[in-house]
Amino acid sequence: MRSIALGSVLLAALLSWWILRVDVDPATGTGHTLTVHCAAGIKGPVTKAAKEYEQQFGNRVELTFGGSGALLSALTVRNHGDIYIAGDDSYVSDAKQRGLVAEILALASMRPVIAVRSGNPKNITSYRDLLRLDVRTGLGNPEAAAVGKIAKRVATDLGFWDQLRDKVTVMKPTVNDLGNDLQIGTIDAAVIWDATVRQYEDLEIVEDPQLSRQARNVTLGVLRCATQPRPALHFARYLAAHDRGLLVFSAEGFTPIDGDEWADVPQLELMSGAMLRPAIDSTVTAFEQREGVRVNRVYNGCGILVSQMKTGSIPDAYFSCDQTFLDQVQDRFQDGVTVTANDIVMLLRKGNPKNIAKLRDLLRPGVRVGLGHPEKSALGALTTGLLSRTDHLDNLKASGNVVVESATGDLLVNQITAGSLDVVLVYRSNTAHVGERCEVAPIQEATSQARQPFAIAKDSAHPHLMRRLLDTLRGTDSRRRFEELGFHWRDGERPK
Amino acid sequence: MTTAPHRAGADTAFLAALFVFLGLYVTLIVAMLVADASFTSPADLWEAIRSDEIQSAAVLSLVTATLSAILSVWFAVPIGYVMTRFSFRGRALLDAVLDIPIVLPPMVIGLSLLILFSTPIGRAIESVVPITYQKPSIVLAQFAVACAFAVRTMIVTFQQIDVRHEHVALTVGCSRGQAFRHVVLPQVRRGMLSAFLLAWARALGEFGPILVFSGAMRMRTEVLPTTVFLELSVGRIDAAVAVSLLMVAAALLVLWIGRSFGLGRIGQ
Repeated sequence: MRSIALGSVLLAALLSWWILRVDVDPATGTGHTLTVHCAAGIKGPVTKAAKEYEQQFGNRVELTFGGSGALLSALTVRNHGDIYIAGDDSYVSDAKQRGLVAEILALASMRPVIAVRSGNPKNITSYRDLLRLDVRTGLGNPEAAAVGKIAKRVATDLGFWDQLRDKVTVMKPTVNDLGNDLQIGTIDAAVIWDATVRQYEDLEIVEDPQLSRQARNVTLGVLRCATQPRPALHFARYLAAHDRGLLVFSAEGFTPIDGDEWADVPQLELMSGAMLRPAIDSTVTAFEQREGVRVNRVYNGCGILVSQMKTGSIPDAYFSCDQTFLDQVQDRFQDGVTVTANDIVMLLRKGNPKNIAKLRDLLRPGVRVGLGHPEKSALGALTTGLLSRTDHLDNLKASGNVVVESATGDLLVNQITAGSLDVVLVYRSNTAHVGERCEVAPIQEATSQARQPFAIAKDSAHPHLMRRLLDTLRGTDSRRRFEELGFHWRDGERPK
Repeated sequence: MTTAPHRAGADTAFLAALFVFLGLYVTLIVAMLVADASFTSPADLWEAIRSDEIQSAAVLSLVTATLSAILSVWFAVPIGYVMTRFSFRGRALLDAVLDIPIVLPPMVIGLSLLILFSTPIGRAIESVVPITYQKPSIVLAQFAVACAFAVRTMIVTFQQIDVRHEHVALTVGCSRGQAFRHVVLPQVRRGMLSAFLLAWARALGEFGPILVFSGAMRMRTEVLPTTVFLELSVGRIDAAVAVSLLMVAAALLVLWIGRSFGLGRIGQ
């Protein structure tokens, strides 16, 4: 008996040592080790792409698989790892709402179709055929499988859900359960994803337009708890690149999205109105560091930027001081997204020695006025419009009080701070750092507000990356910076 | 004892009925295996055996199941002894508690472990030995379920042992510990081996709690049932069946050797 006891202790000690030993030293290379939670249904392309990535960059990718929903549940309990890849976008959106996911990248799209055995022996041609008595039908559980939810909604819209629910042979929680049943022959037809059908040699697709319209994306989310977001995003960009990971998805029967071009360290160009610099510069720097990319920023008066763009120098994105300037080059950009608005105010010398309170006071003899240049800057164009609307423009020009027209509001602020001007018309955000050296006075006669849209170039090689930059600029930290500088938050408002 | 001639016919019918039940159940098991085999081929089996991932999963399965079974027996012997030899308030409730891992759906065990190791106490333990999503989590998940089966086996075993032997030992001057070591343990060796084999078989086939608590990480926390799940998840039924048959073969071999040699020798 003693020998059995001793033997069991020794064996247990040996086995424990083996288990713990292997765990202590999981990494083989000197690179990073990434943990990726991946939906089991897309194991094929992700495993292959991850292997290619490991060979190319020396980073290690540890894949852990499960159902999209089960992985999400586990992540909710225990936030762990770097990346979550779900079979369809609703899970990643859910994860984002739960605060688990930071960035979202789409990889491939999938359409719901009717899967049948090769040769379509039951001659099924439409979704309604699944009601036939001679057809044994399988559906995904509407509560558990996204495709089941879609099948239910479409059948409800077409008015035959109750019949189908009563007639269906089986409901299963995953599309592969249904594919396996079809292959084994226990059902004749099932509503599953087209990409799933292509995993089986003996199955074929019957399209029904009502179902096909409900396409969903295989989507990746970079987890907020990722301890190394930069390599995680590096791998995410690799997977979502049309000339890298998405080639593997295509070869495996998925329909890849139109992804970004691959670059180890993408070089991006952002043109931005000068007034936005204090609000966005640190946000863009943080984005560069997190993503591992370079964003070359060109800040200038919007008129100058637009001229440059018209000569063919198109950046990846343009953050304009006002919609009117984006309109001039709109043909080269996707629709802009308004992020903020900025008031025009009067900035006066400290103590307001010329006693200026209203716009008409600018006409008084001896007042030195500085304005934005009407062609080189959005500020100038908006100021001109404001003066024109209040019938002061012609008189001001005739008065000769306008001593300077600058391309940017910052230059005007410098000049009034130096004492060479009595009043300048600038954005409220330009005045954020003047402190007590000047005084700000709102314009009482009329309001004028510039709206700042962000637009991504149509032919940018990295539109998805630029979209993530936009998302970052619309984030909470960025909003705080904008509002501290006097901008109004207008995120998501449609351009006027 | 001899059988009276007039009873022989009735006994034959009785024995035939017994063997019909045995035959039907064994036929069901064999029919399932034959059906499995029809869905794969020697080439699939060979490919499965050669695959690095499956070799790694097989080794991990064997190591963790063995360790879990040893731990289960270590716990089951004292627990079984306490539950059969001592009367105390709440014993019936405790007896029911010991069955909880058998009754609970396996996924719930995994989820409960996951939640447990996300509490401050769990995290404190993890700061010393990483468990969640690591190999030790497999052993813990297997142990949580397998131990309940081992405990049940040991309780039945201790119940079958005549308590008078122990009393005799105590009257001739043995302490309780000595009586347990020298009188009780030698009598429960067969039960311990049964408990070990039952726990081992249960641990080898365990899947639900491992998927939730350990994840399905290739070459790291992937055990053979995980491999079957992963292959089924991408529609590779042939590969899933090949791995299943390998598991059946391994389990059959170990259980057969264990029962015929181990139980035979111990019984002598």
